[in-house]
Amino acid sequence: MKQGLRQSMAWLHTWVGLVPGWVLYVIFVFGTAAFFQNEIDAWMRPELSSGTQVTPRALASADAALRARGAGAESWSVSMPSPRGGSGLSLSWRMPGADRHDRTSLVLDPETGQEIQLRETKGGFFLYRFHFDLHYMPVSWARYLVCVAALAMLVAILSGVVTHKKIFTDFFMMRFGKGQRSWLDAHNATAVLVLPFHLMITYTGLATLLFTLMPWAISANFPDRQEFYRSVFASSPEREASGMPAATVPLAQMVAAAGREWRGGVPSYVGIDNPGDAAATASLYARREDWKDDRLDTLYLDGASGTVLPSTRAAPGGATATHRVMVDLHTAWFAGYGLRWLYFLSGLGGTAMAATGLCLWCVKRRAKLPDPARPHFGFRLVERLNIGFIAGAPLGIAAYFIANRLLPQAMAHRADWEVNALFIAWGGSLVWAFSRPAKRAWVETLAACAALFAAVPLLNQMTTARGLLQSLPSADWTFAAFDLTMLALAAGFAFTARKVASHKPRPAPARKQRPPVEDAA
Amino acid sequence: MIHLITALLSLAGFALLLMAMPRHQQDWLRRKLPPGTSRLLKLGGLALLAAGFALAGQGLGWGYGTVAWCGWLSAGAAITLTAQTNRERILARWRR
Repeated sequence: MKQGLRQSMAWLHTWVGLVPGWVLYVIFVFGTAAFFQNEIDAWMRPELSSGTQVTPRALASADAALRARGAGAESWSVSMPSPRGGSGLSLSWRMPGADRHDRTSLVLDPETGQEIQLRETKGGFFLYRFHFDLHYMPVSWARYLVCVAALAMLVAILSGVVTHKKIFTDFFMMRFGKGQRSWLDAHNATAVLVLPFHLMITYTGLATLLFTLMPWAISANFPDRQEFYRSVFASSPEREASGMPAATVPLAQMVAAAGREWRGGVPSYVGIDNPGDAAATASLYARREDWKDDRLDTLYLDGASGTVLPSTRAAPGGATATHRVMVDLHTAWFAGYGLRWLYFLSGLGGTAMAATGLCLWCVKRRAKLPDPARPHFGFRLVERLNIGFIAGAPLGIAAYFIANRLLPQAMAHRADWEVNALFIAWGGSLVWAFSRPAKRAWVETLAACAALFAAVPLLNQMTTARGLLQSLPSADWTFAAFDLTMLALAAGFAFTARKVASHKPRPAPARKQRPPVEDAA
Repeated sequence: MIHLITALLSLAGFALLLMAMPRHQQDWLRRKLPPGTSRLLKLGGLALLAAGFALAGQGLGWGYGTVAWCGWLSAGAAITLTAQTNRERILARWRR
């Protein structure tokens, strides 16, 4: 090999960054939004009040509702609201003979216990799922695609560090108005300043998909997955329905039993199998409030008496513990609002890094085009895909939020249409990107992003009683912060659109003083 | 409170590291500082960042604190970079 290490790393960085670059950008955009998935849930379900503390009265209403409407069901479930909001006290039940996923559900106000009619939405949860399951394709394909993209990301980060020869001397360099040099500076800055986050989130992201990526550890040691799960996680006592009716103890009693067993712990989810039977079994899953808290084992109660049933315990092990910490670091469930915003801002840094990297590919090659007015096919493709993804994906998210406020409440498949709105807007911007001159397409799609994000708080003000005019004075922080973030995003896109619109491409740089810039690309 | 102090330590640390670099001394002061001063600034900057780590670890727990410290490192560096990029504007205001 004649090339030096740095040249070969630069080549690797360019192509490993470009080919899966759009998928990586999308993962970054949606993953960043997912740090606030509960808050987005709350905003997309404005009927829910902001209180999340479950009162004894609400528990009693849940008991009554399950007994009245879920009588004769094979199983009941009670999901407690997350302290971050976005979900009420949710009940569901499955009737005998129904499909495993075919559950009837209703949502109660955690304070009053009254039933709330929520609009149908997939909420922030969809944005979270999309960042590793994608959409309109089988989940397993999507995960393989995401795995490959994330592996490429890790390679791109490491080769990028090697390529970027002046990582420390250029640490604080950001030169505007210098064409390719500025793009390189911006790409380096967003990469280097947030480097600990980029490395962590990519590596732990791969760790969350561990068994997709490397299933052999399980297949070599266990006959099947079920066997693996049984030996690693706590398993429930297997009990058949006895056929003899017996009243199931009220939820409040189960919650109290959990508090005793877990020394003050609170359940986040209660599942009851064969309710109303003498052999009813309740499974209580603990909520973890703090990273420092121990992971509490699932608690199993006899439904008729409320006494604790014996169960196997989760196998403790170094590998499991390491894996869990990595997944925790990735999902940041433990993060308070200070740290959560840091995660979010770091995520925006990653998004900007992916975007500037994609743009840089074009910027570097534009100067070398034989005829800049008629670029070759590869260049045109990358340029248009950049527009359609970099501006299109956020545009889709804005459309998703807008659809949440504008679609009629009683619409059939309403939640699906919110998702469709996201992809219609995104697909539209891709079509737009391919059918307009590149620079105008940039300005127009970025301006459309700004307009749609600005429209979100406005529509919220018009369609709910929790717009900024009310949420700010009443300290309804989730709503206020959401709307203000939308305005900040709108301002950011408007600023970028204006910058692009007023940008005058400089004549091809005179190359006499210095050789062309060669590092990181 | 711990978050705030960690953030300020990180910001001050990166500001010192910035001023420890001769190229940026030229930007801000229009002259270069003697090498001894630059070294002191560099050590001081690193010491402030280390102090931020110790504080975050002590105050927030070592696990949580490390994660938060990394976040504030990025934030502090980003703010310093923003100031560096807008130095002409800042200096113009200063001189007026």
